[in-house]
Amino acid sequence: MKILTCPVNGPRPVSEFAYGGEVRPMPDGATCTDREWADYVFNRSGVPGVKIEWWYHIASGTWFYAERDTVADRVIRTWLPA
Amino acid sequence: MPYQLLRFAFASKHPEPRMFRTPERLKNAYDAVIIGAGGHGLASAYYLARDHGMTNVAVLERGYIGGGNTGRNTTIIRSNYLTPEGVAFYDQSVRLWQDLSQDFDLNLFYATRGHFTLAHTDSAVRTMRWRAEVNKHFGVDSELVGPDEVRKAAPQIDITCGGHAPILGALYHAPGAIARHDAVAWGYGRGADQRGVEIHQQTEVLGINVESGKVTGVRTTKGDIATPRVLSAVAGFTPRVTDMVGLRTPIYIHPLQAMVTEPMKPWLDPILVSGSLHVYVSQSARGELVMGASLDPYELHATRSTLDFVEGLAAHMLDMFPFLSNARVNRQWAGMADMTPDFAPIMGTTPVEGFYLDAGWGTWGFKATPVCGKTMSWTVANGRNHELIKGFNLSRFERYELTGEKGAASVGH
Amino acid sequence: MSSRLPPVTGEWIDRSRGVDFTFDGRAYRGCAGDTPASALWAADVHVLGRSFKYHRPRGVLSLANHDVNTMMQAGARLNLRADVEPLEQGMALTSVNTAGGASGDRLRILNALGGFLPVGFYYKAFHRPKALFPFWERVFRRMTGLGTLDFGAPHIRTPKRYDFCDVLVVGAGPAGLHAALAAGRAGAKVVLVDENARIGGSLGYQRGGSIEGFEMLRDLERDLADLPNVSVRPGTLAAGYYADHWIPLVDAQRMTKLRPRAVIVAGGAFEQPAVFRNNDAPGVMLASAAQRLLYRYAVKPMDKALVLTANADGYRAALDLMAHGVAIAAVADLRADGEPSALSMRVKQVGIPVLKSHCVLEAEAVGDRLVAATVCPTGADGKPDTASPQKFACDGLVMSVGWAPAAALLYQAGASMRYDTTTHQFVPERLPAGVFACGRVNGVYALDSRCEDGERAGTEAARHLGFDTPERSFSIAPERSPPSHPWPIVEHPAGKNFVDFDEDLHLRDFHNAAQEGFDNIELMKRYTTVGMGPSQGKHSNMNAIRVLARIRGVSPGEVGTTTARPFFHPVPLSHLAGRGFNVHRETPLHSRHDGLGAVWMQAGVWLRPEYYALPGKRKSEIVRDEARAVRDAVGLIDVGTLGKMELYGPDAGAFLERVYTAKFSGMKPGTTRYAVMLDESGVVIDDGVVARLSEQHFYFTTTTTGSTTVYRELQRWNAQWNLEVGIVNATGAFAAMNLAGPKARAVLRKLTSLDLSNEAFPYLALREADVAGVPARLMRVGFVGELGYEIHVPADRAARVWDALMEAGQDDGIRPFGVEAQRLLRLEKGHIIIGQDTDGLTQPDEAGLEWAVKVDKPFFVGKRSVEIVRKNGPRQKLVGFELDAIGASTAPRECHLVVRNGAIAGRVTSIAWSDTLGKHVGLAFVAPDMTELNSPFFIRADGGTMVQARVVPTPFYDAEGLRQKVVD
Repeated sequence: MKILTCPVNGPRPVSEFAYGGEVRPMPDGATCTDREWADYVFNRSGVPGVKIEWWYHIASGTWFYAERDTVADRVIRTWLPA
Repeated sequence: MPYQLLRFAFASKHPEPRMFRTPERLKNAYDAVIIGAGGHGLASAYYLARDHGMTNVAVLERGYIGGGNTGRNTTIIRSNYLTPEGVAFYDQSVRLWQDLSQDFDLNLFYATRGHFTLAHTDSAVRTMRWRAEVNKHFGVDSELVGPDEVRKAAPQIDITCGGHAPILGALYHAPGAIARHDAVAWGYGRGADQRGVEIHQQTEVLGINVESGKVTGVRTTKGDIATPRVLSAVAGFTPRVTDMVGLRTPIYIHPLQAMVTEPMKPWLDPILVSGSLHVYVSQSARGELVMGASLDPYELHATRSTLDFVEGLAAHMLDMFPFLSNARVNRQWAGMADMTPDFAPIMGTTPVEGFYLDAGWGTWGFKATPVCGKTMSWTVANGRNHELIKGFNLSRFERYELTGEKGAASVGH
Repeated sequence: MSSRLPPVTGEWIDRSRGVDFTFDGRAYRGCAGDTPASALWAADVHVLGRSFKYHRPRGVLSLANHDVNTMMQAGARLNLRADVEPLEQGMALTSVNTAGGASGDRLRILNALGGFLPVGFYYKAFHRPKALFPFWERVFRRMTGLGTLDFGAPHIRTPKRYDFCDVLVVGAGPAGLHAALAAGRAGAKVVLVDENARIGGSLGYQRGGSIEGFEMLRDLERDLADLPNVSVRPGTLAAGYYADHWIPLVDAQRMTKLRPRAVIVAGGAFEQPAVFRNNDAPGVMLASAAQRLLYRYAVKPMDKALVLTANADGYRAALDLMAHGVAIAAVADLRADGEPSALSMRVKQVGIPVLKSHCVLEAEAVGDRLVAATVCPTGADGKPDTASPQKFACDGLVMSVGWAPAAALLYQAGASMRYDTTTHQFVPERLPAGVFACGRVNGVYALDSRCEDGERAGTEAARHLGFDTPERSFSIAPERSPPSHPWPIVEHPAGKNFVDFDEDLHLRDFHNAAQEGFDNIELMKRYTTVGMGPSQGKHSNMNAIRVLARIRGVSPGEVGTTTARPFFHPVPLSHLAGRGFNVHRETPLHSRHDGLGAVWMQAGVWLRPEYYALPGKRKSEIVRDEARAVRDAVGLIDVGTLGKMELYGPDAGAFLERVYTAKFSGMKPGTTRYAVMLDESGVVIDDGVVARLSEQHFYFTTTTTGSTTVYRELQRWNAQWNLEVGIVNATGAFAAMNLAGPKARAVLRKLTSLDLSNEAFPYLALREADVAGVPARLMRVGFVGELGYEIHVPADRAARVWDALMEAGQDDGIRPFGVEAQRLLRLEKGHIIIGQDTDGLTQPDEAGLEWAVKVDKPFFVGKRSVEIVRKNGPRQKLVGFELDAIGASTAPRECHLVVRNGAIAGRVTSIAWSDTLGKHVGLAFVAPDMTELNSPFFIRADGGTMVQARVVPTPFYDAEGLRQKVVD
């Protein structure tokens, strides 16, 4: 089983984690267009590559960032949100 | 013995020609280019040639014919969907399926087995009733049945599922079927090839030329092509192709895994699906139990296998069929599923003129193969969306008009 | 008669323990340590099974777990590998997929019909006429499949284990043993596994008529025994390789999931059959199989053998056979120069004729037993020269023409392999970090070299992990001659030269497949099904690659290999499933409900009482009575499955305003407010009640099924927004029960000193006080539409409060009520249930929740989407409806459709017969233009009956809410 390193709890099997998708900046709802907002809500960058993602360590309730290669399934680094 | 077999014994040489040629090189220009020689791409090519007279068509495939999700899925065919758009679309597909072997003169082993979607909770029973009602409304043969009907069709099942997930009922869909998946791609490939379509295997698309919002050509590992029309039918590779034309879509890629047992004497006639236990299972013509479960939990552009998958699926299989303890799992594999937020496909025209999308097929693409070919070929030939796929256009998201099957998928409690 | 030899040094059988068994109804006696195949072969039974397609007789081929044609059935055990499974006393074995047993199989007629059944024949027939296909399908389903299931077989629950080590060594042959020793001596914690019952690999049986190798094994075993940090596990299969070195080890009892820090694959190579006509006749076997029979089971494989070879191993086999009394008719060597090593001299010395540049054209069987083999010269192009064939009488033909690496684990680990033209096999080119290979799988064959290569791999693995290792360089001598022949294949016009024994594929099938366009290895695999049988191509893939390479005029390397997926050998479902744990949650009041006769239902992961059974009463009656108790007196329901969250901090109010649609900043401590949560697309995903305990402390509930995901998402927002707030999921820490009914106050008053008067504790207020001596949070909420108190108490003291309430309510007729009655009661009030009266696409305006959505706030999750969606107006509206008088049997049910002018216009989300109201009431989604009060619409009920309903306002019951507010 894949090992993922929680910044708080160290290396743990991936079954202890939940995936939170790619980190995407939210546009300012007050100023963006409807189309920009819909793009934020629905569209994804599905292209493979190295992405920054949300991951969640379920047992400890820790959300953190992971930089991961979505082709090789290789985690480059993980860290807590500032 | 069928007469078709007699000629084999009495011919001095194997009396079968090539199913598909290997073209020497790409032409400079085609009327249309189809990316992906899976079931969908080849079906689109087949109907483009057969129904629309477009034969100056190239199908480009980075691997080999039917090597993607066409050859990796668990081959279930059904039309018991929830939304009117879905039911009408898949119903048309099932009708096409039923004559496909004769169309191709190639036996796809299309076997109507009956399909049970098991309900283990009262909320699931409600959802099954909803689907049954919508199906019946459109003339699709579906019925909410009780546990006794399940027992009648699969007498060996533990109706309590190990005591913790008793089967309260099921959506029974009599036309549910399975077919030999590879042969579907071969049949469409052969038919397209016979009508003049070129299938280029081991030919990877590197880029798509777009000028002033219009498709003008395709760049490949075997050279560049001019074409005004490109149809992308590449399932798990869709984001790579849409990226080439600068198109953003909601599609995200998760692996979907499956596994198969050693052959055993046939005993399971129907196709059984349990949402609660995350199991779908049927017995193939070879006697293997073909099994799948839910999608892998995170994005990955690879077809690696995981042990957790087989462990979980095996446990749930034994809940349903405890006597399978001694049966052995022979092989597991995976495909890359192109998921959408509303569990419905993305089909038809796009903001890029001449670029057509047949994607978002997630875990349900195989059953749609014929109707996709029909509707996408019509769409490419006519430059506008076929009536049956209007609800599946990419533009539905920015209009917040999701047509999805998600409605039922997330009915909880 | 018996072919059992006198005792052989190192034999695995225990002659003192006889084992009685039957095969296809006849009784036999073997020894402990035998396999069914070895015991039967010893008893001169040579037809051990039938092939899958043509039902040809098959005997021993590999004796290495690839003999799929001799799988047997033993009671409930199906597809038992007769070549490797231990023989057990009393086993009643039958052959698989035969009509009348292995020797008399009536389906052998199919062999004569082979000409009608070329590769892919089933794609070419049976579909016309279409109506006949179901008939043919039934025929196929009778013919197909191998073993038979016993539907009465028990659910086997095996325990699983987890284990960790530094280095896993897969394969305990000479290379693996040396690897384990080297890593072990460096201080690594080593696990050494081998799928065979004993370690040693080829040292045990490829002896070349000498005892040296076997003595080396004894020494190695002694050395291993001196290393306590090396755990040796025979009978253990490394079934696959998964990410980050996660390896399932499968033995007879269980699966152990091992996490080594490094993996050494020393799994050796599979000996490959030669392809010639009738190469499947019983008596034709791999040289290694004959040697296994000799040295493991002390069985004489044949009386007279022809040896077909292309490497040194064939010469060793000839010497081994000769040493145990087998006459050798000849050694036919495919190579023009023959064997370069001293072995060739040794073979000559013992009088064995050697025919260089010779192949076997054909084997001949009479009565299912090999009787002769025809040998002829072969040219450099691999074509037989059939001008002057020589026929040798023999009852055995041993093949030693090459090997294919057992590289499945390496492929799964992501190794890249290249075709090596000096050894004629695929060898690792690039290995992933922490993965090592040695021995035959690495293309190393000479015994000394394998030992050296093993030591190298063990040392490198230990060094990789940071252990101190001796500074030494390793030099592996190149092989003197290729261990594998590049073309061990002889065409024969009459065919039956098998490439894949599992699937009964002969050479012509591959040519035909290529002719039809399946000339890519993956397409060829799919069309011919080569390698798709239970042995997964272990003895067929390499030859298939060679055949295709020659057809296409390219090298095997250019053809490439197919993907090697788990499992290495098939693994029982029982081992994979383990104990089959299923998680469910119980509230702290579970035992109380059980005592009261609760009928359980699943609500997400929770179990909840649907209702409380009473003898002689039907469910519908009980539910009605439970509801009536709430309306008329007082009822008590466990609502502890609701998600329960604590929120602390100066920004707690601001946080809630961002995640829920309502406003909370202005809430006064001691009050509660209904709260709706949307997702970013503006879809309703959850609801609950928010209570403010103090300025900086909120307590709120979520739906039962939503609690985990809501908590998770709230934490994520919190991680992003950096507000000064902390969230605690207190779902399990608190129990909750709702005491409701006109007499609720009277009951509660007995257990608390809190002032329960309307002035002191009004509707929608929150109070903290002791109830039955337990500190409690009390909320006056009205989900069921009566005077009610939702009482939250610490989980560990919940039963005390429940008991006290039940006792205090006894005089007032208190009744526990379940989910079913609660659903009815809330429906009478028109309260929606998220997930039942909404679905995965429901927007708040559609569900009548406009009032709870405060778009004048600067931000909340989903706000912008709500604004966009509102421009188009709702697609549907949830309305209350009632049926005009109607019998319960024809009433619609939940999810029946609203139909207008023949089109779907909505659906019923909730419906129930209300005894209180004397009619059916319900909620339904309808088209936006169908919401006018009192307008009729139609619902299609069971059997297609159209039932008329009318839109009515909600609540259906107590529209002003006087009963829950209570004016006293």
